[in-house]
Amino acid sequence: MRLTRFFIRRTLQGILVIWGVVTIVFLLRFITPGSPIDFVAPIDASPELRQSLAENLGLDKPIYQQYGEYIFNLIQGDMGYSFQRGLPASEIIFRRLPATLELAIAATVVAITFSIPLGVISATRRNEPVDYVSTGFSLVGISTPNFWLGIMLILVVGVQVEFLPTSRRIIGFGGALELLVTEQNFLGLRVWLSHIILPAVTLGTYFTALIVRLTRSGMLEELGKSYVEASRAKGLPETLVTYKHVLRNTMIPIITVLGLQLGTLIGGAVITESVFDWPGLGTLVIESIRQRDWPVIQGAIIVIGLGFVVINVIVDALYAYLNPRVELE
Amino acid sequence: MAEESDDMNRRGFLQYAGATGAAVTSFALAGCSGGEEDLEDDEDGSDGEDGSDGSDGEDGSDGEDGSDGSDGSDGEDGEDGEDGSDEPFEITMTQRQDPTTLDPHDHRETTTDNVILHAYEGILWRGPDGGIIESLATEWEQLAPDRHKFTIREGVEFHDGTELSPSDCAFSVRRVVDPEVGDLESPQRDQLAGIVDAEVVEDENAIIVHSDGVNPLVFQEIASYCSVVSEEWINNTASEDIATSMNGTGPYQLTNYTEGESAVFERYDNYWGEMPDATQVEIIAASEDSTRVGQLESGETDIVSAVPPADAGRIEGSEDLYIANKGSTRILFLPMRYDVEPFSSVEFRQAMNYAIDLDQIISEILSGFGQPTAQPTLPSFFGHNPDLDPYPYDPEQAEQLVEESGHAGAEIQIEYPAGRYLLNDEIVQAAAGFIDDLENVTCEAVSRDFGTLAGELLDGDITTQPPFYNIGWGNTTFDASQTMLPWLTEGTSQTHYVSEEMEQLMSDQASEADADTREQLLQDANQLAHEDAVWVFLNQEFLVYGINERIEWEPRPDEFFLAQGMERSE
Amino acid sequence: MAKVGIVLLVGVILVATFAPFLATQPPQEQNLEDSNIPPAGLTYSSEEIAFVDGERQTVTNTVQGSLDHPLGTNQLGQDIYSRTLYGARTSLAVGVLGTVIALLSGVTVGLIAGFYGGRVDDGLMRFADIMLAFPALVLAIALIGLLGPRTLEIPDPFVAAGLADGMPETFTLPLTVTLVVALVNWVWFARIARGEALTVREKNYVKASRSLGASNRRLMLKHVLPNSLTPIIVLATIQVAVIILLESSLSFLGFSGTNLSWGFDINQGRDLLATSWWISTVPGLAIVLAVIGINLVGDWLRDALDPDIGGERGGM
Repeated sequence: MRLTRFFIRRTLQGILVIWGVVTIVFLLRFITPGSPIDFVAPIDASPELRQSLAENLGLDKPIYQQYGEYIFNLIQGDMGYSFQRGLPASEIIFRRLPATLELAIAATVVAITFSIPLGVISATRRNEPVDYVSTGFSLVGISTPNFWLGIMLILVVGVQVEFLPTSRRIIGFGGALELLVTEQNFLGLRVWLSHIILPAVTLGTYFTALIVRLTRSGMLEELGKSYVEASRAKGLPETLVTYKHVLRNTMIPIITVLGLQLGTLIGGAVITESVFDWPGLGTLVIESIRQRDWPVIQGAIIVIGLGFVVINVIVDALYAYLNPRVELE
Repeated sequence: MAEESDDMNRRGFLQYAGATGAAVTSFALAGCSGGEEDLEDDEDGSDGEDGSDGSDGEDGSDGEDGSDGSDGSDGEDGEDGEDGSDEPFEITMTQRQDPTTLDPHDHRETTTDNVILHAYEGILWRGPDGGIIESLATEWEQLAPDRHKFTIREGVEFHDGTELSPSDCAFSVRRVVDPEVGDLESPQRDQLAGIVDAEVVEDENAIIVHSDGVNPLVFQEIASYCSVVSEEWINNTASEDIATSMNGTGPYQLTNYTEGESAVFERYDNYWGEMPDATQVEIIAASEDSTRVGQLESGETDIVSAVPPADAGRIEGSEDLYIANKGSTRILFLPMRYDVEPFSSVEFRQAMNYAIDLDQIISEILSGFGQPTAQPTLPSFFGHNPDLDPYPYDPEQAEQLVEESGHAGAEIQIEYPAGRYLLNDEIVQAAAGFIDDLENVTCEAVSRDFGTLAGELLDGDITTQPPFYNIGWGNTTFDASQTMLPWLTEGTSQTHYVSEEMEQLMSDQASEADADTREQLLQDANQLAHEDAVWVFLNQEFLVYGINERIEWEPRPDEFFLAQGMERSE
Repeated sequence: MAKVGIVLLVGVILVATFAPFLATQPPQEQNLEDSNIPPAGLTYSSEEIAFVDGERQTVTNTVQGSLDHPLGTNQLGQDIYSRTLYGARTSLAVGVLGTVIALLSGVTVGLIAGFYGGRVDDGLMRFADIMLAFPALVLAIALIGLLGPRTLEIPDPFVAAGLADGMPETFTLPLTVTLVVALVNWVWFARIARGEALTVREKNYVKASRSLGASNRRLMLKHVLPNSLTPIIVLATIQVAVIILLESSLSFLGFSGTNLSWGFDINQGRDLLATSWWISTVPGLAIVLAVIGINLVGDWLRDALDPDIGGERGGM
């Protein structure tokens, strides 16, 4: 019952956020100079051709009417047609979505795999060489623009050593998995992996660094608390103290921050995709902004906003799970 | 995510396969094997197109024969795999941008044409030198000033197996020029300017194209534009499917298309014309220059367009790659608005031309891949004036002309569309640098978004146009008027220069029936444009391609980048 | 470590301020004959195409770096050392100005929300949620792409005073970028200020002042603001770093409006990575050093002032 209320409340909030996002995008559209038709019509189009193309796309209607129709259609799941591509915007977006999801998840996996052990070691061996190395790494990590990191990785790993491919997603994870299951063929997975490593490292470095810092400072704080002393005094093994109690309490603020950092992850994905020519939502958004392809811009931002809402619900649920004192509200 | 299996790049896989020695044959790569049902839907993917080799590539060596055999696992026709005795010859091509649609009449980009023109053909076509040649029409003649007859080739088949009829050709023309036909507001309507209708000739295998009054350019237009589609197929296919599948008469049949990722073609065995060498073609895109070059160097692709001049030397120097270049039909220039100071002064406009060391820009920035221009018209075009030379680099002369113009101390800026043309950012920044070096003018380059800049040019209002900007113009009709009319005469959307003399020359040439007199008028107009310094004349753009040695290819001036012209090296 | 941070930060500030004296040539000055020279001490040879009488030939071109251009030149023959110095101005100006604007607007909104509570609070915080649902970079790209990159020309005082002749007379501030980075970052300040306001509001002395008829505005300025100052200062420091990274991303993607910025230069060198790698590498290192400096100072401030702001904030 409590859970149901929580979800209903969050769903309503989510709808509100999405409505707000749509409205802001339409406001942007309203204040943007020039008409999208400039981008649709060929450079030497006659005024008549421009006019009829505009009518065809419904751009001749007043903006409030376009807004009303858009909201009306959106409720029915229709995001309209791309101005540039003659396809439904939703179709274009959902084709690109897996690439971005894979990248974001791979980066998160990279980040979590490396960061938490590193942060724990750093905290438990404070002021030892390993701590300095990990602190130094995390400082550089949060200070490096990821597009530059990507370029440097391409330069060093791709161009100089020719060790890994530097661009392009050849196969999706789904396809690779399907091959593995249906044909027992690991090739697809290998190709997928070799192509995603550099982008995932590029995108994941900032988060790795961030979580190392959070874990380290959180652990240090927890380790200084009295219950830790008490457990130690009770004679519980050191590792158990560290992992079971301290880490669990440290995770709470980390998860909160990561939830809030989702926007950063998506922003980072946009620029990482652009560096590696990754066919995801990010490159799509940049392209569409350059072409004023409003239905695609709107749709992509809605999808991103939805992702944000969903992740934050999960984060809150996790938060409550890890910290039983917190009620789901 | 099941359709993800479509994403695979066959060649990329085969290389990995080669490297690992894994047997490739067993799994299904992208593609349908043809047949009409497939044209409606290429999502179903895996109908077991064989894994026949990818030969060559960096890895060379083993594993790549993969032979084949496992064709057509879902039992649809399975026509392919029997290309006579031919060895399979598969090529991958990388261009700058993915196609925005596969509907041949719903776009205006060369990059989209580069994909579409593998499967679709026009009524007429152009030879490598730009001359008109036959295609789906075997004969063409002018019956009256406004009636043009095309005799349509017999025995041509669409990829869905239906036969080409003259009504398909007439329908295609009408689909472009008439918004009521084929449920499409085609952005290509202006490419067939003057053409109003087309009809089938009774009892003859021919069509008649109607133009609006006298139109000397109808054959030129038909040779450059308007792909032929099947009337029946268009009428029975949803517009989403027309945008993602193809049914043409060309030498290649689309087997797989993933929007934003790749288009894969197989040679069409019932093609009416000469069979091209390549049996399978994959077209992909990478907008970053370095990515394209990287793909070529690593063997992921065989041929790339728009190679940055800085990388050309390395490619030419490498073992199995080479560079091919060709002057394009595009020129870069800096228009100056005649109605605002300081550009209203002829002296000032000339000074801008003298201020820039164009030869150095071409040799240092473009590594020589470019030709200086002196007039709006390229040497191979009708109406080019052979007596004009580019403005020399003469900063003193420029400073003096600025003094004379009375605009000494002017502060100006050049607005340029970022990254739109080959190295245009660097070219314009260098040009601004040269102008800024003058004692009495300061100048800077300002980057703009192409779309917004284009919007300001096209809104039909000269006052919203920037006073001084960079633009490129491609002319695919090979006729001077297609460049000069829109830019240099009154009443067009992007006009930025008006003079009585130019108006007179351009209106005279438009109604002139005699070719020699018309040529003279256009040459005079070019001379006037040069002397009045209507633009800062920059370079003719070169097309630079990086190609794997196993392919032999001579680039075309019209930027088309098509596998049917590519041959297997001996 | 704090010392290293302060040295780096002061270094960047000095470089940005005195760029006209430190630069060896104006940052925009080009010399096409001297393009793509490697940094001093390095020799670079590459194969290049040359056209001799229209015939294409491959020649090997060897270039040696020298102290004339200590960090080499780019494809227009501009001096990378001088450009990097001037780039510091853009980064720092946008970073500081953007943060100040974000701080002022965010704190105002946060205080109002926290102090008035109720519907005002709900409304403002929902709006903040909506802002958070937009990834900062995407929103920034959208705004700049759509509004166009406006800039502001600010006269260089040293050049105006005749102390650095030949250097650029004005500094170009990317105005749209500055406003946009502030717009996408104010939410963090608003959240902190609101939290503080909520806490302080419940304190007895505030309740007392209120019952004595003190105006809300007075209460906010007198009690809430001083209490929230510490976390705001720490957050502001971190935000400068975040905004510098954001600005460089935007100019890297070509959405800036000035062509004198580290991100712009990294992008310029990107196509020449395989040949002239230093064009992208040098400005990137400059960003990393500057941001490390700011982050170290931020860490030091946080440890010294120990505010509770719940860990790291902001976005790349």
